Amino acid sequence: MNVFKKLFKIFGPVLIAALLLFIFLISPFGVKNISQTTIQKAALSQSPNVFKGTAVKEAAMSQNYVPFFGSSELSRMDALHPSVLAQKYHRDYRPFLLGSPGTQSLTHYWGMQGIRKQLTNKKAVFIISPQWFVKKGVDPNAFSFYYSNLETVEWLRQAGNTRMDRYAASRLLTMPSASSSETLEKCILKVAAGQQLSSTEKTYLDLKYNMLKHEDQMFSMLTLKDKRSLIETGEKQLPDTYNTAKLNKIAENLGKANTTNNRFNVDNNFWNKRLKKSYQKLRNEQSNFSYIKSVEYSDFELVLNQFAKQNTNVLFIIPPINQKWADYTGLSMNMIHQFNRKIKYQLNSQGFNNVVDLSDDGSSPYFMQDTIHLGWKGWLKVDQYVNPFLSKKQKAPNYKINNYFYTKNWQQKENISLD
Amino acid sequence: MKDQVIEILQNLTGSDEVGKDLDVNLFESGLLDSMGTVQLLLELQSQCGIDVPVSEFERSEWDTPNKIIAKVENMQ
Amino acid sequence: MPNIQPYQNPTYFLILGVALLPIMIGMLFGKKLHWYQTLISFAFLVLTFGGVKWEQGIALIGYIVFEVCLIGLYHLYRKKKNATWVFCSAVILAIIPLVIVKVTPAFENGQVALIGFLGISYLTFKVVQMIMEIRDGIIKEFKPWLVLQFLLFFPTISSGPIDRYRRFVKDYNKIVTRDKYLNLLDKAVWYIFLGFLYKFILAYYFGSRLQPMVAQLALSHGGMSWWVVAYTYVYSMHLFFDFAGYSLFAVGISYIMGIETPMNFNRPFKAHNIKDFWNRWHMTLSFWFRDYIYMRLVFFIMKNKLIKSRITIANLGYLTLFLIMGFWHGVTWYYIVYGLFHACAIILCDAWLRFKKKHQARIPSNKFTEGLAIFITFNTVCFSFLIFSGFLNVLFFHGTLN
Repeated sequence: MNVFKKLFKIFGPVLIAALLLFIFLISPFGVKNISQTTIQKAALSQSPNVFKGTAVKEAAMSQNYVPFFGSSELSRMDALHPSVLAQKYHRDYRPFLLGSPGTQSLTHYWGMQGIRKQLTNKKAVFIISPQWFVKKGVDPNAFSFYYSNLETVEWLRQAGNTRMDRYAASRLLTMPSASSSETLEKCILKVAAGQQLSSTEKTYLDLKYNMLKHEDQMFSMLTLKDKRSLIETGEKQLPDTYNTAKLNKIAENLGKANTTNNRFNVDNNFWNKRLKKSYQKLRNEQSNFSYIKSVEYSDFELVLNQFAKQNTNVLFIIPPINQKWADYTGLSMNMIHQFNRKIKYQLNSQGFNNVVDLSDDGSSPYFMQDTIHLGWKGWLKVDQYVNPFLSKKQKAPNYKINNYFYTKNWQQKENISLD
Repeated sequence: MKDQVIEILQNLTGSDEVGKDLDVNLFESGLLDSMGTVQLLLELQSQCGIDVPVSEFERSEWDTPNKIIAKVENMQ
Repeated sequence: MPNIQPYQNPTYFLILGVALLPIMIGMLFGKKLHWYQTLISFAFLVLTFGGVKWEQGIALIGYIVFEVCLIGLYHLYRKKKNATWVFCSAVILAIIPLVIVKVTPAFENGQVALIGFLGISYLTFKVVQMIMEIRDGIIKEFKPWLVLQFLLFFPTISSGPIDRYRRFVKDYNKIVTRDKYLNLLDKAVWYIFLGFLYKFILAYYFGSRLQPMVAQLALSHGGMSWWVVAYTYVYSMHLFFDFAGYSLFAVGISYIMGIETPMNFNRPFKAHNIKDFWNRWHMTLSFWFRDYIYMRLVFFIMKNKLIKSRITIANLGYLTLFLIMGFWHGVTWYYIVYGLFHACAIILCDAWLRFKKKHQARIPSNKFTEGLAIFITFNTVCFSFLIFSGFLNVLFFHGTLN
């Protein structure tokens, strides 16, 4: 009939497109082969799309990429950066950088959900920033920026009535991102309350999972920042064979050359962009900063718990703070030492024994690239630990998770003594 | 009547074109604008004695000399 | 109770599609299901103004009762008498709720008036228009049911396009032939999908991706920088695609319901001058201002011979029109400056057009001058949007985005 023909001409394309899209999205098949170039770019890009997604991370970590969890220090890509050293000296591993300004324990816990399988019985490097451990932990806006429903769906599909899952759920509920979908919010509430999800909810999660996964496969790699040239520039500055003394000299020279316009040994660009205008206001600004009492300790426990669950062998690094800057801003070193004791207690008492504490190196020149971020000599020192850890066979870890670290009591605890 | 309307339009637009092409679109060609429209309505009121409220004026019904003439003849 | 804002997400369109199905089938068989249309209009109003927005819902009900009574009473009066002061009072009464809503934030530290709701300004345009046409004797009958249908027509309630009562009623009652309706459907689908492209891809890209980034860069640089220039164009694109996309949805959905709501945009960035621009940008608003403010004011002045010079009258008209438009957007310095800027631009434009007409022979007109005209107009308009965006306010007086 004529009318139907006309109607089909109007609505046909819409219906067919909708149908195809729907079938594609909920079908369990993957679509995209991820190229080596994409993986290389993604491993360096630190882009939120990569962080929030799972496709590239999975692909990379099933090869020789090792996750380097951290935050803003990962973007200090000078010649001694772990990514440069690994590539220049043809190491067996390549770092996959996970973290940028604003990523903290809670962000990492959710970011790990998509790569649980890839973390199982593998190795990882984790850089802990003392600056995360402020009273209220991660900033909700920063959290939202690195949060995706895909991670939550992955997490919900396996969440049970455990201390870890209940705590994670209750933390998520304090973030604005939790209410991005009504159904998901309901599921998170149930997990927080220790209840079972209904079978309808589980089916919903399965379909939603396929959909988000496809979305991730299609879109998360579209706009990757390409930082490979930074790595290549770094490589050119290095000698052909690895020699610690020579590298140390290069680090020193690079540091010297790049910190000429201020008295804090801070990188010139950083100084000009971030401090030059305001540094006078910052004198003694940080004298009452404290990283001792913080909800972040329990958020960090989530990360430890997840590592323990996957039996991941992790090397933890505690970076120092630029001593000159700390003195100027009045940051209490006593407080920093207390922080170190507390975090190390949390690590060691649960069997996380690969901990590199660099906090005494803050006064060594060119160790830091700026105020709180590792640079030249600092990266080189990190390499002294990272390379053997990742290149040589390690003893299997033996973790004992203690739920005490999820309590307010622990978050508020002061004066830990290591014995 | 027709001539009278054309004369009004010629005075308003300052152009002879309206007399030659009775189907020219007065608004699209820029011959008439809102201001001119109001003047047209006032002239029609004073010269032809027909009263067109501003809200009656629907542009698409008044956009050529022919349409205007038809309107005016209709209203008399 | 759930609350869904119009045209915001796929769910809304899905519900809409299902709800409109009976109307489409009815129309194809030459039947208008008025009762059903009322039912789904009600349902969608509840979706928009119910749930967490229930306070707005109450405000809407109060507003509608007040305005419909006002129209009814004025109509009753107009059948017997026609005093100017009664007419003026009716118009003033009609806009009082809107004035309160617009003025409250300026005097109460940004607090929102309780009687406000999404779309109050657009409803006020519709009401004022009716009162004026009742005064002119063009609207002869007062049918409360049709007035309600007109005011509460849900596809356009939140942000227009602003329809005209007589036009709407004609469409509302008219039975369209099957061929004509198929034609409408065809256009509707096209408009809605073009709207998707505009609103969910282009406006999203400009508004949610580029704009925050550029804004941040401009602010961290401080003062005037190239980033402010970038912000100007990014914001302009966002503004256009967001609003044009929304308008396309509203028009498309109207078509499906057999109502040919007028278009709001006609390639505004192709305009040759500011006057041309206002004939292409937010057309239902600018035509409303043209017909109900500018022309009336000019008519009044000329008829009473208050001012002799045609040019002065026109300029006064422009100034009034754009100042009111500025205040209508909100009582802040940048909206008012935006209004004044456009008034000046259009006055200059008129002067130029007069000059051009006089010296027609000596001023060249070719592809290049045409391109130049479009270029100048486009940049003038974008600059006016920078004022409109309020970004300068942040840049000059606050220094951070909140």
